[in-house]
Amino acid sequence: MLYSKDRIGGVLLLLFCIAYGLLSRNIKLLPFQMDVAFNARTMPEVLTVLGIGLSLAVIVFPGSAARPELGGYRWGQCALFLGLMSVYGLTIRPLGFIVSTSLFLMIGFALLGERRPHILLLVAVPLVVVFWVLMTQGLDVFIEPLPAFLKNGGS
Amino acid sequence: MLEGIAIGLSTALTPGNLLFVMMGCLVGTFVGMLPGLGPMSAIALMIPIAASLDPSAGIILMAAVYYGAIFGGSTSSILINAPGVASTVATSFDGYPLAKQGKAGKALAIAAYSSFSGGVIAALFLLVAAPFLANVSLAFQSTDYFALMVLGLVAVAAFAGKGDMAKALLMTVVGLMLSTVGTDQTQGVPRFTLGMIDLVDGISFLLLVMATFALSEALMAILKPKDDADRLKEKDASQNLGSMAVSMAEAKDMAPVIGRSSILGFLIGVLPGAGATIASFLAYGTEQRLAGKEKGAKFGKGSVRGLSAPETANNAAATGSFVPLLTLGIPGSGTTAIMLGALIGYGIQPGPRLYIDQPAVFWSVIVSMWIGNIVLLILNLPLIPYIARLLAIPSRFLLPLILFFSLIGVYFVSFNTFDIQLMVIFAVAAVVLRFLDFPMAPMILGFILGGMMEENLRRALLINDDSWSFLWERPLTLSILLIAAVCLVLPFATTYIGRLKNRVFGDSPSAD
Repeated sequence: MLYSKDRIGGVLLLLFCIAYGLLSRNIKLLPFQMDVAFNARTMPEVLTVLGIGLSLAVIVFPGSAARPELGGYRWGQCALFLGLMSVYGLTIRPLGFIVSTSLFLMIGFALLGERRPHILLLVAVPLVVVFWVLMTQGLDVFIEPLPAFLKNGGS
Repeated sequence: MLEGIAIGLSTALTPGNLLFVMMGCLVGTFVGMLPGLGPMSAIALMIPIAASLDPSAGIILMAAVYYGAIFGGSTSSILINAPGVASTVATSFDGYPLAKQGKAGKALAIAAYSSFSGGVIAALFLLVAAPFLANVSLAFQSTDYFALMVLGLVAVAAFAGKGDMAKALLMTVVGLMLSTVGTDQTQGVPRFTLGMIDLVDGISFLLLVMATFALSEALMAILKPKDDADRLKEKDASQNLGSMAVSMAEAKDMAPVIGRSSILGFLIGVLPGAGATIASFLAYGTEQRLAGKEKGAKFGKGSVRGLSAPETANNAAATGSFVPLLTLGIPGSGTTAIMLGALIGYGIQPGPRLYIDQPAVFWSVIVSMWIGNIVLLILNLPLIPYIARLLAIPSRFLLPLILFFSLIGVYFVSFNTFDIQLMVIFAVAAVVLRFLDFPMAPMILGFILGGMMEENLRRALLINDDSWSFLWERPLTLSILLIAAVCLVLPFATTYIGRLKNRVFGDSPSAD
């Protein structure tokens, strides 16, 4: 009951609300802006009070006593995917859409258990190319397909 | 009204828009069928495509995806007892037992006919109610809108499950907090930007929706993959559907249920916050009570009525939830909140003026609901045996693809790699909160309504010379705020009274 899901969530959100409240003090107002009944700080301040109050309500009066069960979950794999997504974000420009996305998909498929290299290539690459053609030709959304060093024939 | 219908027909029946309805229904059915991915994720995935279309086509596409996803959710409920969305949980009560009896095809057909009828009848109600409400709401002022938004936010939390109200309210506040990130619109002051130029324009709603729904759904599936028995069940169910014929006796049995559940579903859908889930459970419960002893006993064991009622009601409620969106600009559910965000993205402000300023958008949405329902019935139903095979696509291919579509959907709108990193951060937060059973929909609603709420409150204060007296001096504002207060207090009061009753009569056998 002490470490119930509701309470842990409540504590996490309480910390978020406190951080939000502290950051709201950094909102810079000019003197004349401070005098109005509702300035840029009003809503954040009200929300901070509401958020802290509700977080405390969840912590003190949890709706359920269910405790989090960490066993049976693939936390490592989930973390790897989060890393993969982040790296994809960093590489989409320098490597270009087709290379970075094909790599993202192939690594993703491999992480989830597909080990055959030809299947990885045959599923990911054609799909990415077709998607790129569809977006650029069909919807006029252009995205650089190739790595930066190959742009304009490498010049 | 006839002129409006003509405008709607001429817009919705263009070959391009018809294609979008068909495409939306198909894509929606597919996405909705995947356990875990519901209409919100389906619509979120469609926004980048819809953003490149004109407003009417974009909204038609999203509305079609909405129906398709509800229909798809029913399919996975019936075939593998894995509702894609909460609103189809009640469908599985009788749909899955029918499938187990080898009548999966019949169950799917009953679900499709019921959904179609519920959607069409509710669209008729919408046709009458929306213009009427839009005319009435022309008299609304900023103060009333502010009160309505408070009501909308409170109502969503009030309809949360038992003991979950505080959590839903807290998540609403978190959504409101996120909506304050960026430059303050009135005073031009940066708020919570942490000195980052990428946050000056605030957090994109598409980014937040994709991260908290589509990305986190896929990550949750990666966290806890299905076991082999489940996969075998899915493969088997998607290949043996049986006959899709519905007998005359069954049709007669369904007819009154459809009539009642359509009305009930529509009315519940109109209420902000209630939505399709409550409508489906209420319709199921009502029909069970009305069915009598003999037929009522069949509920849960493969009853035609038990399948028809929630299916009709959830589609009628989905249509009903468009009423507050189109007439007041206030979303009645998480899904319509996303659609509201999309409309704002087009530069369209939903509300009573939509009916006057953008008749093509207003009426084409209504007309497209009929077309969408027809498409679902005549195109998707025969295709179900084939679409259902998609359930057999291995998750090792499907999940990375969902992640890719979510990331690229946001990137294609902003072309800013910072957005991808921000999505990862939000996805982590969403996975943790979902793991702890905190609801995401109230947060999205808070995020969407936050900016509008602040703007309306400021305008109201400006009109009233910085006096807060409008909150109690304007009868309409006060009435709406009082309703919100009742919504807020009622669940706590009933819980307290229940506990008190238990304490007093707890051990007495004659308590009830």
